[in-house]
Amino acid sequence: MAELYVKPGNQERGWNDPPQFSYGLQAQAGGPKRTPLTRRAPPPPAGAPPGPPPDPGSAPSAPAAASPPRALGPPPLGPISPPRAESRKPSAAASPEECSVPADTVLAPLREALAACRPSVQKQVCDDIGRRLTVLEDAWAQGKLSAPVRKRMSLLVQELQQQHWDVADEIHRSLMVDHVNEVSQWLVGVKRLIAESRSLPAVDGDTDGSAEPEPEPEPGQEEP
Amino acid sequence: MATYLEFIQQNEERDGVRFSWNVWPSSRLEATRMVVPLACLLTPLKERPDLPPVQYEPVLCSRPTCKAVLNPLCQVDYRAKLWACNFCFQRNQFPPAYAGISEVNQPAELMPQFSTIEYIVQRGPQTPLIFLYVVDTCLEEEDLQALKESLQMSLSLLPSDALVGLITFGRMIQVHELSCEGISKSYVFRGTKDLTAKQIQDMLGLSRPAVPIQQGRPLQTPEQPAISSRFLQPVHKVDMNLTDLLGELQRDPWPVTQGKRPLRSTGVALSIAVGLLEGTFPNTGARIMLFTGGPPTQGPGMVVGDELKTPIRSWHDIEKDNARFMKKATKHYETLANRAAANGHCIDIYACALDQTGLLEMKCCANLTGGHMVMGDSFNTSLFKQTFQRVFNKGFNGEFRMAFGACLDVKTSRELKIAGAIGPCISLNAKGPCVSESELGIGGTSQWKICSLDPSTTLAIYFEVVNQHNAPIPQGGRGAVQFVTQYQHSSTQKRIRVTTIARNWADAQSQLQHIEAAFDQEAAAVLMARLGVYRAESEEGPDVLRWLDRQLIRLCQKFGQYSKDDPNSFRLSESFSLYPQFMFHLRRSPFLQVFNNSPDESSYYRHHFARQDLTQSLIMIQPILYAYSFHGPPEPVLLDSSSILPDRILLMDTFFQIVIYLGETIAQWQKAGYQEMPEYENFKHLLQAPLDDAQEILQTRFPMPRYIHTEHGGSQARFLLSKVNPSQTHNNLYAWGQESGAPILTDDVSLQVFMDHLKKLAVSSAA
Repeated sequence: MAELYVKPGNQERGWNDPPQFSYGLQAQAGGPKRTPLTRRAPPPPAGAPPGPPPDPGSAPSAPAAASPPRALGPPPLGPISPPRAESRKPSAAASPEECSVPADTVLAPLREALAACRPSVQKQVCDDIGRRLTVLEDAWAQGKLSAPVRKRMSLLVQELQQQHWDVADEIHRSLMVDHVNEVSQWLVGVKRLIAESRSLPAVDGDTDGSAEPEPEPEPGQEEP
Repeated sequence: MATYLEFIQQNEERDGVRFSWNVWPSSRLEATRMVVPLACLLTPLKERPDLPPVQYEPVLCSRPTCKAVLNPLCQVDYRAKLWACNFCFQRNQFPPAYAGISEVNQPAELMPQFSTIEYIVQRGPQTPLIFLYVVDTCLEEEDLQALKESLQMSLSLLPSDALVGLITFGRMIQVHELSCEGISKSYVFRGTKDLTAKQIQDMLGLSRPAVPIQQGRPLQTPEQPAISSRFLQPVHKVDMNLTDLLGELQRDPWPVTQGKRPLRSTGVALSIAVGLLEGTFPNTGARIMLFTGGPPTQGPGMVVGDELKTPIRSWHDIEKDNARFMKKATKHYETLANRAAANGHCIDIYACALDQTGLLEMKCCANLTGGHMVMGDSFNTSLFKQTFQRVFNKGFNGEFRMAFGACLDVKTSRELKIAGAIGPCISLNAKGPCVSESELGIGGTSQWKICSLDPSTTLAIYFEVVNQHNAPIPQGGRGAVQFVTQYQHSSTQKRIRVTTIARNWADAQSQLQHIEAAFDQEAAAVLMARLGVYRAESEEGPDVLRWLDRQLIRLCQKFGQYSKDDPNSFRLSESFSLYPQFMFHLRRSPFLQVFNNSPDESSYYRHHFARQDLTQSLIMIQPILYAYSFHGPPEPVLLDSSSILPDRILLMDTFFQIVIYLGETIAQWQKAGYQEMPEYENFKHLLQAPLDDAQEILQTRFPMPRYIHTEHGGSQARFLLSKVNPSQTHNNLYAWGQESGAPILTDDVSLQVFMDHLKKLAVSSAA
């Protein structure tokens, strides 16, 4: 459910900069892997040094592929034999997420959550969160937020409403990692709101297992 | 009976240990004749998803000089409830809790499959992890912006109860008070004058009436409004203010005139960071994270003056004894590193600049404390951003992969002594009966402190066999080593990991073939390489190479089969067959050759070499090369110029770089656009396969490697050409009947010539 994409590195600033992986892909990296590329070619037998011996008579150890003709022919046709099993297609997932979420469907629940916190949370903290929600609102209204950010914010709010704190927190983290330049100013307020809402005494039995009545918010340990 | 290869692999997976020799020569004399020392690579916190920790204290041997932990090798008298220590043979009573044990009701630590076991113990109050950011503001606007964003992002990745602090520096140093109020205050220090720990603590108002300092405990509990809390606050309390504070950071306001470097007070900034933590949280896990974009240019620890016309020292300057600031700066950072290490704090260095930043002088900060060293071109690169993210990676169980304040204690059977360790650690100067008089690496102790480590951090531990020649094979026929690692888990729990291993002794005169068959050439190569790189830090390059060559020749003389003075008769058995080629590539590696590298780069490469596990270390010594072609599935090929063929794509992993190289024909096909035509979809797949494989490596490697996509004739093909064995060069090209492979323009000796000389020297009766 997290965004899965790879984008090129910053070749302007970094020499041979590696590609950048989205948070979702990074989190996935711990999962099952293809065989790691750590094997080495066995050395030629009988203690002979690897590589062709410096004797022009003997054939080089390279596969006996016919050396290609000087004039370029086409590559061999043939059945597609993918050299590696295609276990996944990360780059394909980068299709632009169409999103026409109105700002209010995201902001209203956040403000509601903030109002719920008011009685038990320091005024100053609440004001600070409120200020950041305004920044979010402005950014949204001015069209400064990209589609993926808007989309994921609406997901985050849905999870928040269902009191799935860990999931909401995880979405916040993925937004922070993948889109920090867009969200750094206000997302921290949402983060705080998740933490404060989570530590409110549970109102009804509708909470999921991750809601904890204790005041100290545990970092969301379980991956959704 | 399983093969030795399986045995070695199984041991590595279960215990995180790889020994150079898996059957041990039983006398000192014979052991020295084996050339490669008896040693092991130890990954103390190797990830073991199948090993749940137990929730009680380990049982210790009652002999005060021993204190070994009860383990599966101990003999147990179940009826009398006694156990005999397998290291000192002391007989011990089981504690009362073990009254119910029997042959069929054993505690986990006696079961053979628990040769490695982890205990969670309750000792002292738990303190949250501490992260102190030390941020250079003499950066270009773009870099500073990117760094600010990365730091803001990191607040979401930190454990929410972690304490965080911020020091910024340029010409002056600012220690920021983090309060929840709206006003931001900071203490400003001059960057030219070094301050003692006491002065720093006085000036920051950290001094308080003498309170007895207890081990493993902060001076105050986080609940009560504490002095340190002005500078170090829980993330979940200050994240909003800190985000704003970071967002408002400006470039250093002091004007920098043309032809000058900005004045950068890295030395004093680090000194204040170390002093701040020393005064507030001694002996608890803490990370000082230094982000810098250039060399220190003033005050203690300065590496170069501010005149741009004087370049920063090069290897040439160092050889000519012309590096004015090097010794003094190195000393400054060594003092800081030792102080931090003594308090169990680690120092990371994230240096991003196109020119050198002084890693050579500052390296000890990361090397002695187990901190990270990251070198990039700019903070606005994916290399930095993702490497930094990965510092906060979580393991299989959702826990951070970082651990703190580890103490590694090694115990040995009587016939074995400890010569030293090489890795990101400092000596704890624990003398004892297990400690050898001869030193290899950091010796003279049986305990080391590793202030920060992760599941792949690997130490090399060297031993000495002390049993006398002609003495019988020691009692029991087996020697044993126990590794006890106490550390602070990222969950702040105190844990103890205990690994106990045993190997058979053999008489080297009558049973040499057993010893030979149990040789682990991969481990041996890495262990010798660590010794070589360790020496290279203090000795001249050529001396180290000569030493390595001599060791290799002696090893071949000892274990090769040959008739005297007949090089053609020389053979090595399978268990030694790869070793010479590892040494060949090691000699050419950036760990021992400084040519083409700046002093900073050499420090960076060596830093990583001294801590990675065996697999990664071997990749660094001899890069991995895979070939992709229409002739079959991808296959590993020799790291040799003969592997560079026109109809192949090559993928090379050197650990620091991932190189994809398109052969001549492949590159032409790609230019002709065959991959776009539906009927040549197989070609498209061929082009894609190495990219996918490279991605897999890039996704997990720490630090993020550079990524090079090149082709035949491309300027960046040099990365590949400089690593392969130059079996074909411009010198011998015409000796070849046919064209195959790619000639390398070099006068370096090839592996073939190297081997020819090696054989000649090994079989020579004069040697």
